[in-house]
Amino acid sequence: MTKKWKSAILGLGLVMPSFLILLVLVMYPVWSSIKTSFTGADGQFTFEHYIYIFTEPLILNNIRHTLTVTILSCSLVLIIAYSIAIYLRFNQSPIAKWINRTYLIPMFIPGVIAVYGFINFYRDNGWVARMIGEEYMPSIIYNVKGLLMINIWFNVPFTTMLLISALQAIPNSIIEGAKDAGANQWRLFWHFILPLSYRTMLVALTFLFMGIIGSFTAPFLIDRNAPQMLGVSMQQHFSVFNAIEQSSSLAVFMFLLCSIVGYFYIYSNIKGSKKEL
Amino acid sequence: MWYFRTLGKRKIIEFIFLCLFMLFFFGPLLNLLLLAFAGEWQYPDILPSVWSLNWWSFVLQDESLVRSMWLSFVIATVVTLISIIICIPAAYAFARIRFPLRRFFLFSFLLTNAFPKMGLYVAIAVLFYQMNLMNTFTGIILIHIINTLMFMTWIPSAAFENVHKSQEEAARDVGASPLRVFWHITLPMAKPGIIVASVFTFLSSLNEAEGTFLVGVPNYQTMPVTMYSIIADYPSTAGAVFSVILTLPTIILLFAARRFVGADAFANGFKMK
Repeated sequence: MTKKWKSAILGLGLVMPSFLILLVLVMYPVWSSIKTSFTGADGQFTFEHYIYIFTEPLILNNIRHTLTVTILSCSLVLIIAYSIAIYLRFNQSPIAKWINRTYLIPMFIPGVIAVYGFINFYRDNGWVARMIGEEYMPSIIYNVKGLLMINIWFNVPFTTMLLISALQAIPNSIIEGAKDAGANQWRLFWHFILPLSYRTMLVALTFLFMGIIGSFTAPFLIDRNAPQMLGVSMQQHFSVFNAIEQSSSLAVFMFLLCSIVGYFYIYSNIKGSKKEL
Repeated sequence: MWYFRTLGKRKIIEFIFLCLFMLFFFGPLLNLLLLAFAGEWQYPDILPSVWSLNWWSFVLQDESLVRSMWLSFVIATVVTLISIIICIPAAYAFARIRFPLRRFFLFSFLLTNAFPKMGLYVAIAVLFYQMNLMNTFTGIILIHIINTLMFMTWIPSAAFENVHKSQEEAARDVGASPLRVFWHITLPMAKPGIIVASVFTFLSSLNEAEGTFLVGVPNYQTMPVTMYSIIADYPSTAGAVFSVILTLPTIILLFAARRFVGADAFANGFKMK
């Protein structure tokens, strides 16, 4: 046996256990829900569930709401995380050290707990309202504002982490060199720092988008009842209306959107890579 | 005022920034901590008027709640061990071995994140009904492993990739067998990445609620699942005590692994090639 064959078999053998789990527990269920979404009551192939989700005004409203919340959350998270990352990269003050030590913690707090803490903190008679007076308190819980805030809370740590690592990879010599050549801060950011970190932003955006668009716990507990995020709407179609075909077609629709984002992620990752397939 | 003026505008802005950061990210958690130790906390008061440990003894004496904590830790430990055994070989293969369809296998793990979780759980529940895995320990372990597959493969793989090949080759040149090189050179050098991924796996299993709720109820109520019913049925002080107990292992583990849990070990895992 040649060396090439040996390494092919060894590689495939090592990957197989985890891939088999993926095959049985993820790929097969995904395939079966795609199939369900195209199956009518008589077992025949049909588009009726897709026609339903794209014509029913309630669901169209939910789709619009989901896209708005997802895009708004992603942009806000990226802007905030990028500012924190820049601050931490170019600052060695004690305050920066404190933030550096603590910013990751929210990433590991259980979702239910964070939502529970949020509700107790921001509700109309919560801690913030007690401190500033109830009459000055904007309504945050059971409102889109609360949902956006908790999305920021959950996702900023992870995004900041990715961005910090990208910014730290930019050698100081490049920045010093640009400064010596007379670049001001704005030009430095626009021509050096942003181009050198934009690929990481794409990575972060992928996981942000995928995480937020299908989220369930936070919108279920914090958002209003209508319009709903699609994650909640899907769960309701399944467990309240017992309409598994419609909830599958919603899932497949979201999967399609995520696949588009995922495609760009994979494409940008392997572009310029010298590794073989 | 003169004191602030000597500090300079920059310092003050930085300080305000820190306050906002702390308030936003840790205010809700601090609120829960205070609630957990509050005996009486009437509406307009900013701080509790009576402090007490009543709800602590209530929660810790309730057998079903204690059982759910125990169950959560057992599940998280089992899930972490199984993921390590299954995923580390794959991670090594992605980093070091040439084999056909490498990229297809590598990026197929992204699928666990690309399909909406709720939709996936529903489809898995249908499958589990057919396989009689509903409401079983195995079923819960499997559904937790789905969430950890990607991290457990990508992060250690990046760690393996960052071990310099020259060191491995040097060991080979002195006559060490490939297995010995892996055990004594590659594995120790990739350890930080593996530890980060393991900590992440343990915590994500400890905190998993949605899938367990769908597959494990009624016999297997882990802590986060119990939390759903506590939010609905108990006063907020009991919920707060439970939240603190559920958050404590997270904080302890993060501090214990602080040396390893840096931004880089994580971030590299998402730049796969």
